Amino acid sequence: MNQRKIIIAGVLLIVIVIVLAGSLFMIDETEQAIVTQLGKYVRTVAEPGLNFKVPFLQNVHKFEDRVLEYDAAAAPIITSDKKHLVIDNYARWKIVDPLRLYQTVRDEAGAQARLDDIVFSELREEVARHTLTEIVSVNREAIMEKVHKQCDEKAREYGVEVVDVRIKRADLPAEVARSVYERMKAERQRIAKQYRSEGEEEAVKIRAATDKEKVILLAESYRQSEKLKGEGDAEAIKIYADAFERDPEFYAFVRTLEAYGKSLRRDTTVVLPSDSEFFRYLSPQTK
Amino acid sequence: MAKVYYKQWEDEGIRAPFGPSIRFNWLWLKWIIPVLVLIWLLSGIYIVRPDEQGVVRRFGKAVRVAEPGPNYHLPRPIEQVDKVKVKQIRRMEIGFRTISPGPPARYKFRPEESLMLTGDEQIIDAQIIMQYQIQEPEKFLFNVRDLEMPQGALMDAAEVALRQVVGQRPIDDVLITEKLQIEIDIRELLQRIIDRYDSGVKIREVKLQTVRPPEEVAAAFSDVVSAKEDKDRLVKEAEGYSKDVLPKARGQAERIIREAEAYRAERIKRAEGDADRFLSVLKEYEKAKDVTRKRLYLETMERILPGIRKFVIDRDVGGNVLQFLPLEEGGEK
Repeated sequence: MNQRKIIIAGVLLIVIVIVLAGSLFMIDETEQAIVTQLGKYVRTVAEPGLNFKVPFLQNVHKFEDRVLEYDAAAAPIITSDKKHLVIDNYARWKIVDPLRLYQTVRDEAGAQARLDDIVFSELREEVARHTLTEIVSVNREAIMEKVHKQCDEKAREYGVEVVDVRIKRADLPAEVARSVYERMKAERQRIAKQYRSEGEEEAVKIRAATDKEKVILLAESYRQSEKLKGEGDAEAIKIYADAFERDPEFYAFVRTLEAYGKSLRRDTTVVLPSDSEFFRYLSPQTK
Repeated sequence: MAKVYYKQWEDEGIRAPFGPSIRFNWLWLKWIIPVLVLIWLLSGIYIVRPDEQGVVRRFGKAVRVAEPGPNYHLPRPIEQVDKVKVKQIRRMEIGFRTISPGPPARYKFRPEESLMLTGDEQIIDAQIIMQYQIQEPEKFLFNVRDLEMPQGALMDAAEVALRQVVGQRPIDDVLITEKLQIEIDIRELLQRIIDRYDSGVKIREVKLQTVRPPEEVAAAFSDVVSAKEDKDRLVKEAEGYSKDVLPKARGQAERIIREAEAYRAERIKRAEGDADRFLSVLKEYEKAKDVTRKRLYLETMERILPGIRKFVIDRDVGGNVLQFLPLEEGGEK
């Protein structure tokens, strides 16, 4: 009797466990799910936690409820100004309607494949409408916003929300990069030359200004010195005149004698008429 | 529920007719089951370290956040906990990876990450370090699948932000002038991007590491630097010339003026001297005019005549002086 009870209890326990296992399911914070009954959609479970379903009859299909990655391989795209760009873009997306996703593309991998088509074609289309400069610098944010909007619109069809589309890298192909390097080199050489010429210019200016200042300085000093000398001369003339004015005749006499002394040197030959004033004093008769 | 059954079995087991072996089994179970249950219950004890927060999930649903200290959650599979280091500043490198922090530190460069186009369509090599912190652990744990993975959301976003910000500026601004602003811009853009993913991460800082021209053009860039130095040198040399020449010129000018002043003074003094002398002589001359005059004259002649050749010619022959000249050839001096 007791033994049978124990067996019954054991069997009952096993049945309960099986039924519970078949009817309870856990949805994590990172998940969402749809419940189907014999292939027919019953409901969507968006909230995490413990959930019940009819065991055996109903199936649970779990999907990611996180932001998911999508990374395309880098691909060459031509811009509107006919330049080649190698664009490496990525997108982030989210499953917002698991039923639709399940119906249209079955699972995440299917959605990835579809995103690949959508994002790449939208991106290429949009990039082809803009110049390289716009893509690289001016408008990148706006262009990406537009691509994002369009991708999102199309992806909704598959129950997917595109959170973000971004150009990760927009690089020039190798051979173009080489010519860019050449251009950069030329540009730097130009700048270097400019610096050196500017230095030259500055230096010449400074030297010229210096020379000018020097000439002016010397000329000014010449002016002052000549003025000073003139003053000295004038003063001297005045002093001489004042003194000699007292007896001009005597001055002439003394000064003449002095001049004789200075001008008649040893080698000088003097020829004088015998009746000259000078001779008069030299001749013996006068003695 | 299990306990109820167990009690039932225990009661019946005591009265069971099977003998001591069964009874022993019951006793054994009597101890082992509570111990197992106890262990199971105790497995829910956990410690949250001071720099952490714990997020407790019950049947997969986040129900509470555990603060630092000892904590308890209902044992698995009912509840589980994820501990997140919320105080920790995490770090991510773009453009290079630290292989060993050294010293000396060794890095591996990732040109495919660090080479990018600037606003003036040039190419620059820029590397950044990004520091971030988990601000909302729940979001951090459950909202983005590949957040911290290599080539994951954070890294992608950082790369995008870096390239976008650098792409908006000419190369010289990136290389030299606007580093600080660039760091701020990258941080803000990066935050904006990851906020879209609701990632619960706060970007603390973005720091530009190496920013340099690509290897292919490095020589040309460094030549610009040396050209700049050349320019400075040329200017300095010219300034040196100026500093050398002008003081000398000023000295020279000063000298010229002083010389002129000296000349003036000399002229005046000499004139005064000459005048004084003349006046003194005149004073005495006026006392005995004729005698003095004659004496002066004779004294002068006396001084002069011994040294010079003298010819005295009568006025009658004076008209033809030349005929006498050869007579003097070799004559006494």
